[in-house]
Parts: sequence; C-alpha cells; structure tokens
Amino acid sequence: MSGSAELKVGRRKVQLSNLGKVLYPDADFRKADVIEYYVAIAPVMIPHLKNRPVTLKRYPNGVEGKFFFEKQCPSHKPDWVPTEHVISESSSRGAVDYCLVNEPATLVWLANLAALELHTLLSRKPGLNQPTMMVFDLDPGAPATVIDSGRVAIRLRDLFEEMKLRSFAKTSGSKGIHLYVPLNTKVTFEQTKQFAQATAMLLEKRHPDKVTSVMKRDIRGGKVLIDWSQNDDHKTTASVYTLRARIRPTVSTPINWDELERAVKRNDPKPITFEARQVLKRVEKLGDLFEPVLKLKQKLPRL
Amino acid sequence: MAARSLWSGSINFGLVNIPVKLFPAVKDTSVRFHLLHDQDKVRLQRKMVCPADGKEVHPEHVVKGYEVAKDQYVVVQQSEIKSCAPEATRSIEITDFVDLSEIDPVYYERPYYLLPDKGAAKPYRLLLEAMKKSKKVGIARFVMRDKEYLAALRPVGDVVCIETMHFGEEVVATDELEGVPGDVKLNDRELKVAQQLIDSLATKFDPRKYHDTFKDCVMKLVDQKARGEKVHISQPREKRPGKAVDLMAALEASLKQAKAKAGAGVNGDLRRKRKSA
Repeated sequence: MSGSAELKVGRRKVQLSNLGKVLYPDADFRKADVIEYYVAIAPVMIPHLKNRPVTLKRYPNGVEGKFFFEKQCPSHKPDWVPTEHVISESSSRGAVDYCLVNEPATLVWLANLAALELHTLLSRKPGLNQPTMMVFDLDPGAPATVIDSGRVAIRLRDLFEEMKLRSFAKTSGSKGIHLYVPLNTKVTFEQTKQFAQATAMLLEKRHPDKVTSVMKRDIRGGKVLIDWSQNDDHKTTASVYTLRARIRPTVSTPINWDELERAVKRNDPKPITFEARQVLKRVEKLGDLFEPVLKLKQKLPRL
Repeated sequence: MAARSLWSGSINFGLVNIPVKLFPAVKDTSVRFHLLHDQDKVRLQRKMVCPADGKEVHPEHVVKGYEVAKDQYVVVQQSEIKSCAPEATRSIEITDFVDLSEIDPVYYERPYYLLPDKGAAKPYRLLLEAMKKSKKVGIARFVMRDKEYLAALRPVGDVVCIETMHFGEEVVATDELEGVPGDVKLNDRELKVAQQLIDSLATKFDPRKYHDTFKDCVMKLVDQKARGEKVHISQPREKRPGKAVDLMAALEASLKQAKAKAGAGVNGDLRRKRKSA
C-alpha cells in the first residue's frame, strides 16, 4: 500500500503516494503502472487533451471499488494546473472550473489521484461553443459485440465517404467503437448534433435490423446504438488514450480501418483490444493514428 | 453504506483527532418536473438573453454584478469571490459541548451522518458514548465546498449526526415579529380544556405515520398517465423528430443526387481509394 515519491516532470515536481496500490487486481496493475503509462503516453495524448475541459473518473480503491465523476477541478490542485470556468446549469454551483491537462505533469498528478479515466469536451478553449469534431459512440446492445460495433463503424465510414468526409475510429477501451469526424472549422453544437442524428437515422433506415439511433435500452437488444447525442456542449467523451476502468487496463486506442476490417472479417475482437503496454508499443511503431483528428479541416455538407 | 461520502476530514477536540466521512442523512424525494413546449413536448432550454438587443449571451460573456445602487453594478470575478472562500481545513473543530435541550430546533439546517474513516472506529465510538453519557452535544465549525458551517454533533443510535446550523444572525428573533399576542387574559378552565385536548392526542412520535401526500398523489397521477398515454421521455430523438427526419431526408436526397451525378462511374460509388488511416 505504501510507496511515496516525488517525480520531476518537466519543470514541475509532483508528489506521488501509495504507488504500490493495486488498481486493477486482475492484472496486478498498480498505481505506479498507471502513472508510468500516463508518463509514457503523454507526448501523444497531451495534444488531444490540451485546452479541453476534462471530467475525471476517479477510482481511489481501484476498478473494483467505488468510483466518482469529478468535473470541478479538485480544490487542492497545484497552482500550475490551469482551469477553465464554464457556466453550467446542471451544476449545483452554477459553474464548473474544469482542469485543463496541458502538460505531462498534470497527467501525472491526475494519475496519482487515481483518475483512471479522462473524459473531455468536444470543444477547446477559447472556442468552447465550437466543437472541433463530431463523435459517434457505437455501443453494442447485448448480444451484439464490439465486432458488431466495428461493422457499423465501417458502414458509417462509408456513409461519410459518400459525403467526402474522412472519419477515424478508436476502440472505446470498453465494449464499443468511437468514430470521429474531424471538423476544426466553424460549426455549432446544434449543427453537429442534428447532423449526427440525421446520419444515425439514415444508417438505421438502411440497416434497421442492425442499428438503432434511439437511446431506449429495451429496443437495443442485439443492435448497435449509434449514440449521436454526445455532440453536445456539456457532454464529455472518453479521451483517446485514456485508460478504462475495466477488469484489465484497457485503453481507448486509435485503430486504422484495415485493422478493423480484418477483425470484423475474422469475427475476432482480440486484435482490436489493447492494454496499456501494447498501446505504448503501437504508438512507438505507428505514431499517433489520431493526429488527423486534431488537424484535418472538414466542413459538414450543406443540405 | 451504498451512498458515497460528500466530504471527509476529521473531528478534532482537545488533542483528539477522529478521521471521519460525511454522508447525507436526508434524501430529496420531491417530484421534479421538466419544462416542455406544449406543442411538441420538446424539453425547453434556458438561454441568457440581453434585453438591450434580444440576442443570446454566451456563458463566457456572463459575469456577476452586485447592485450597489439602482442600476449601478460592481462586477466581481469568480476568482475574486474564490479568494474570500474559507480555507478548506478538512477539520470539524469542536469548540464547546452544550446541553441538547439548549439548542432550539429553529437553528438546525440540514443533518448529515459522520462515519469513522479507516482505523478510527474506537475513538469514534468513544466520542459517541461519552456524548450519550453526558447528554451533551458538540458545537463545531467546519468548511465544506467553500462554505463555512456551524454545526452540532449529537448521537443518533450508533452514529454521530452532524447537523449544520444557522448562525445567530440568520435567525429572526421572535421579538422582531409583528402581531405577537402579548397580554391576553386566559382563564384556568379554558387552559385546562386545551391541555386535556392536547393530552388526548398525545402519542409517541412515529415518522412512519406521516407521508408526503402531495408527492404520493402526483406520482400516482404520473403513473396513471404513463400507463394510459404515451409518456414523453426526454430523449433527443423524440425531442425534434421533425427536424432530424427532415435533415435525414435531405441528406439522403443529396447523397442520391451525388451518386446520380457520378453517373456511370465505378458502380456510381463515390468512394475514394482509401489509404489506411
């Protein structure tokens, strides 16, 4: 349980505690491992987190213990962690000061708080009213699996290609696939949300037996929910490269379309399931497959 | 305990330090409604609008102002307000012990339960039993979510209850009220009859006897309507079926058109040759 240290990250010193604490009992993955992962992934992850208000999902007693969502940046934060004040009607305080994860040291500090999962807004300071991307969470309703989600992701990609838009996939690190359409141009959440819904409905119309765009649980059995409703100015989505609090330390990992097509063809989820250490090796080999999501400028078609 | 703690810190008095967690002692069970547009049952949004030009004002342009004189405001930034927030000490500092009966219930604001944190079971129990034996309650100060509270700690069964209290200046003194009957002559017989009436209704307090009949009635109503009528679940699809359906139709039409334009191209398919991403 014990194990404290001070880690120098860039020009910051971060106090670490309980380094030996097991956070993923099934994988004997400890807090030190979590911190090590976030230190190593920081170079590719930080650009995606930068200036995006982040919601923390904290697991102080590991993935089998109780967790809590934390939007308000902890009051005991180091001075050098910037926050962004966002007026929020749903918050009891009327506003939330989100943490901004703009440098590796912040990532380490959060890892030390057992903030295993980081979920970010789709917009970035200072343009918090402008989503930089459109996102779809393809969530399989049992008995559908991640493979069914993958199949829907491919169909969705094809649909976007008909619109001359490029899209990118990542594993959710949990049960589904996330599909991103980079925008990085002037657009509103109202536009992306409506467009995302229309796209989901169109795919549902084409494949009514496989796809639903409706959130209700009871009708999802065996279908993949295309959750378009994430395209909202106050909703957060699991960030690319975040650990997930599953039994194993899985990561929301970018995958290329060939990989996904192969996995779907073989009906084998294994090659598209990645844990922390595999992800680090992938990044070393492939770089950041999600980089275009930050840079590619695209516009939604006018209808 | 399934609920999660709202706060953790420690009870301090003298040299004693008891790590504790704080849990809510009451639940809000009131019926909540959402505001809908009666035409299409769309869940309504609140928007800040500037009355000067009727335009929407986005959150980053909303600041807090204190009205110092009519139509004159001093703007105070959130960071400035924060600088006034008390230091989060994480300590429930018991300064006095008083008789429970001395505290008028009007001072009580909201109850919470305190449970011992790891390793603190014994000192916790000790405080509890000592308070029971001496029939005293602790008066303490603590800071939770940037706000300082005055509170009373008292035993409730096997648990220490912490009741946040109003500060003295918040409580309206009864002599500030108008219309308090003063010298009214009462005769003994009338008083005796009134007392008898009270005695005839006297019983033990049993909270199970009393229900929020308004809430029960409203929930029954909602249940009935839910069974009889279509319920309007706040779910974005039902939210704006019209608009999304229109948009989908437009999208479908434009894709068809694009395909037609591509004409005899490769199966009319616009797909570019993909490079792996």
